[in-house]
Amino acid sequence: MDTIPKILIIDDEEIVLDSCTHILAKSDYKVVTARNGEDGIALLEQTKPDLVFVDLKMPGISGMEVLGKIQAHDATIVPIVITGFATVSSAVEAMKKGAYDFLPKPFTPDEMRLIARRAIDKRKLVLETIALRREKEMLREQFAAIVSHEIKSPLGAVQQSLFALDSDLSDIISDEQKNKLKRLQSRISDLIKLVNTWLRAISVDISSIREGFSTLLISNVIMKAIENVEPHSVRKDIQIETTVKEPISAIIGNEVTLVEALVNIIGNAVKYTYMGGNISVCAEERDNKVLVEIKDNGVGIPPDDLPHIFEDFYIGKIKPEGERRSGVGLAITKRIIEAHDGSIAVESEPGKGSTFTIHIPVLKQIDKT
Amino acid sequence: MANTKLLIIDDDPDYVDGIKSILEKAKYQVDAAYNPKDGIEALKSGNYDLLLLDIMMGRGAEGVMVARKINKDPKLREMPVLIITGIREQMAFLFPGQPAHPRLLPTDELLEKPVDPDLLLEKVDSLLKEAAGKKEEGA
Repeated sequence: MDTIPKILIIDDEEIVLDSCTHILAKSDYKVVTARNGEDGIALLEQTKPDLVFVDLKMPGISGMEVLGKIQAHDATIVPIVITGFATVSSAVEAMKKGAYDFLPKPFTPDEMRLIARRAIDKRKLVLETIALRREKEMLREQFAAIVSHEIKSPLGAVQQSLFALDSDLSDIISDEQKNKLKRLQSRISDLIKLVNTWLRAISVDISSIREGFSTLLISNVIMKAIENVEPHSVRKDIQIETTVKEPISAIIGNEVTLVEALVNIIGNAVKYTYMGGNISVCAEERDNKVLVEIKDNGVGIPPDDLPHIFEDFYIGKIKPEGERRSGVGLAITKRIIEAHDGSIAVESEPGKGSTFTIHIPVLKQIDKT
Repeated sequence: MANTKLLIIDDDPDYVDGIKSILEKAKYQVDAAYNPKDGIEALKSGNYDLLLLDIMMGRGAEGVMVARKINKDPKLREMPVLIITGIREQMAFLFPGQPAHPRLLPTDELLEKPVDPDLLLEKVDSLLKEAAGKKEEGA
């Protein structure tokens, strides 16, 4: 946004344009005016206004239509409607169409200045938010590059040398020394896996998930996910009970990523549940959605962690005993579920356990035939 | 195996040493080139049975250039190539629209860094056997 805010006023009454220009000129704004909707829209490209005052009732294209065109041109422009017939309904309709505020005629200069100032602040905030979001994206991408080159390859080189040492020395060193080498290798291997998980989190791209969509049965997805976590749950003597309430319609999705999403949740349930605990996985169809509920009787999630658990790199306060955490599993899961037009929610009580609920829309009836 | 000659092209000396010592212990004769240019020259002058090629070298995927040159040379393209890379996931970005295992060459196989010794020896052995089988067919 330039230092001097630019305001476009679209009104068919010359007297309104003149007085508005007069009112706003005092406040160090650059004011541009148009006598009708067409001219106003044409001026958008040229003047790049921060806000636009639009009269709702004009000959030619209506104020409502102009609002739509402004939105389509640049959604960050803040539109305000001027309404001569100050009815609540037209103002409400305009707000629904994206107007930020409305100015009922007749208005005092102060009223107009106040609304203009608030709208300029709003525009500043919108632009700032966009800039911050872009910055965050760039950081994310740069971080990916740094992680992959600066950490992953030297770690790999260390591991490669350890492999070589292991084979070079295998005839010479004692079993105890061999054991030390193996432990070194296993720690490095964990680190490499962790880096790979981070890279995976950063590279989850919703559009590429959508490319691999096909018709799926949720029961297959659940079965594969449970197979994946079973070695771990068996080791901890945790029962995983699965209930699939058939019939359940097919869904459309990407099987590999959906299995990954469920593995992350069920795997977490195993991590955060005590030896001998219970996990239940339930699937059913309700209101044209497939509902999957994963419930454990583990340690639960503290209330202040709960709002953040789906964020990238967030690691909660409770550390599971002897388990590795990356802080990205649930963030990946959420992105995958959202790529399937679904949603994920969690409820938890510390000391009692957690319940994750996933909703995914079923394949439409028309598509089945 | 003592007269089986392998060449490694990789710009990271730690990987070269690590991979080389595993292969030498298995009684292969191993040479190394630390950049694509030396690699191509070595390939042309020496008579190698198999190439281990790193993809991410120099200012980017210079290993791909080496693979392309090999593919254009009627004699070299018969040689099996084992591609070794640290960037399986980014491969799709290098070769848009292709699966993660790009068939750069008719005979290539792909291993991810760091390379597990047993897996390395297994792949090298199977590629060499496959190539020997093809030679017999041709004869």
